[in-house]
Amino acid sequence: MKRIISMTESLCPVCLKKINALIWSENNETWMEKSCPEHGRFKALLWRGSIPIEKWVRNKIPATIKKPNTVVEKGCPFDCGLCADHRQHTCTALIEVTQRCNLNCSFCFANANGNTEVDLDLETIRRMYQSAMDTSGNCNIQLSGGEPTLRDDLPEIIRIGHEIGFSFIQINTNGIRMGEDEAYVSALKNAGLNSVFLQFDGTNDEIYKKLRGKPLLATKIKAIKNCQRYNIGVVLVPTLVREVNDSDLGNIINFGLEWAPTVKGVHMQPASYFGRIPNLPDEQKRLTLGDLMDKIEDQTKMRIRKDSFSPPGCENARCSFHGNYTVSENGELIAQGSGAKCCGVETAEEGARKAKAHVLRKWSGAGPEPQDDGIKSTAVPAKDGWDEILEQINRHSFSLSAMAFQDVWNLDLNRVKDCCIHVVNPRGQLIPFCMYNLTDRNGHAIYRQQ
Amino acid sequence: MKHESTDQTAWRCDKCQQELELTKVKVKYMEGNFEVDLPKCPSCHQVFIDEALALGKMKEVEEGLEDK
Repeated sequence: MKRIISMTESLCPVCLKKINALIWSENNETWMEKSCPEHGRFKALLWRGSIPIEKWVRNKIPATIKKPNTVVEKGCPFDCGLCADHRQHTCTALIEVTQRCNLNCSFCFANANGNTEVDLDLETIRRMYQSAMDTSGNCNIQLSGGEPTLRDDLPEIIRIGHEIGFSFIQINTNGIRMGEDEAYVSALKNAGLNSVFLQFDGTNDEIYKKLRGKPLLATKIKAIKNCQRYNIGVVLVPTLVREVNDSDLGNIINFGLEWAPTVKGVHMQPASYFGRIPNLPDEQKRLTLGDLMDKIEDQTKMRIRKDSFSPPGCENARCSFHGNYTVSENGELIAQGSGAKCCGVETAEEGARKAKAHVLRKWSGAGPEPQDDGIKSTAVPAKDGWDEILEQINRHSFSLSAMAFQDVWNLDLNRVKDCCIHVVNPRGQLIPFCMYNLTDRNGHAIYRQQ
Repeated sequence: MKHESTDQTAWRCDKCQQELELTKVKVKYMEGNFEVDLPKCPSCHQVFIDEALALGKMKEVEEGLEDK
């Protein structure tokens, strides 16, 4: 029997008109159905798995945007900037420093390729940083693209960000230059790069050939080695596509653990259908967060249990899951906490603060390995038990997380209002990530390049 | 009252009137057991955690374990 979960608002995938949508569940699947008077009915899969969507809840008291950049005129999602109706602060601000790219991937939210569009100049980037700081304070920064490492002045861009006052700066990269150009990695480190969000779709080259057009595994490994050399934290980021790499999840996690503490975790992104896509979605094949939690438990043979995952305290519960672990000396994974799923109501503001602090702590470089040369120094106090605990937490922690971006097919505007991942456009406005990248069935965007 | 870690053993248990002794105490954190030196009453075994430790390394541990 079908169970109605909620009513919400969405967009027509053809004309982008705002329309009502019904969310319902049957067995272990949750679907969205919506109807446009002009373009007919649409049905999209939202959730599937042994954990029901109704259990994936984390209620929050909404935050208030203290300094909105845009006024509410047309209603969500057409006034983004952020507007006064938005319910969450920025946890991560993305700045796309180039639209050029040295790959031509089958899925690309930015629809980037070898184009020769002129990069933003440093003054514009400085203004974008400043606007993010004025609106959202010291949030985490992700420099993205295109492929940001195509810019020779990326170290300077990182320096400017720190100068303005941002503590955590991460780059979102395919790792090609990071693997091939050690001097460049050194320059990024010297500029204060904290973390690398490394596109890493799998542990065999067949996956890279399908998703990225060429074998890249050896290059990824070289990139990780260079980050290890310069103590830059790495997060492996697979874009997951059914029948391409969804059966490699366990291998990806094991690979990450072998490279800990340089690799700080795996952040999974089930493919979304916006920007450049190889085909329109086949909803039965869509991967949802529920699918991923089941697959992780199965593919790691219960080494990682799905009950170690929690819904987020920052963004909408249905946007992500995460789990934190400590890697013991014998390689065992110990869950830090057992996953909070129903703990009353928290404030969105506190959720954003915790998420920022957590990312800074968990995804930054681990620092050099403590040396035990057998010589007891009198200048350095001896390590006590508390230092051991701190070392376990700081050096030997590993995180697993996933974020399900929304596309025009499965868009729930309730989730958009809770978004904390914001793209800074060249005018300094902050646009929720999914809305910035959202395209209609014919590839037309609401915000990108507007 | 401000108390420095270096004065750890100069405390007396109010209940037993015994001077606290620096003793190895087992601390359980997640699945791991760690031993730390803490002042403890030899009679009632009450452990004393001073302000410097509570606001120093113990706070760091708590922050490190904070989930998002």
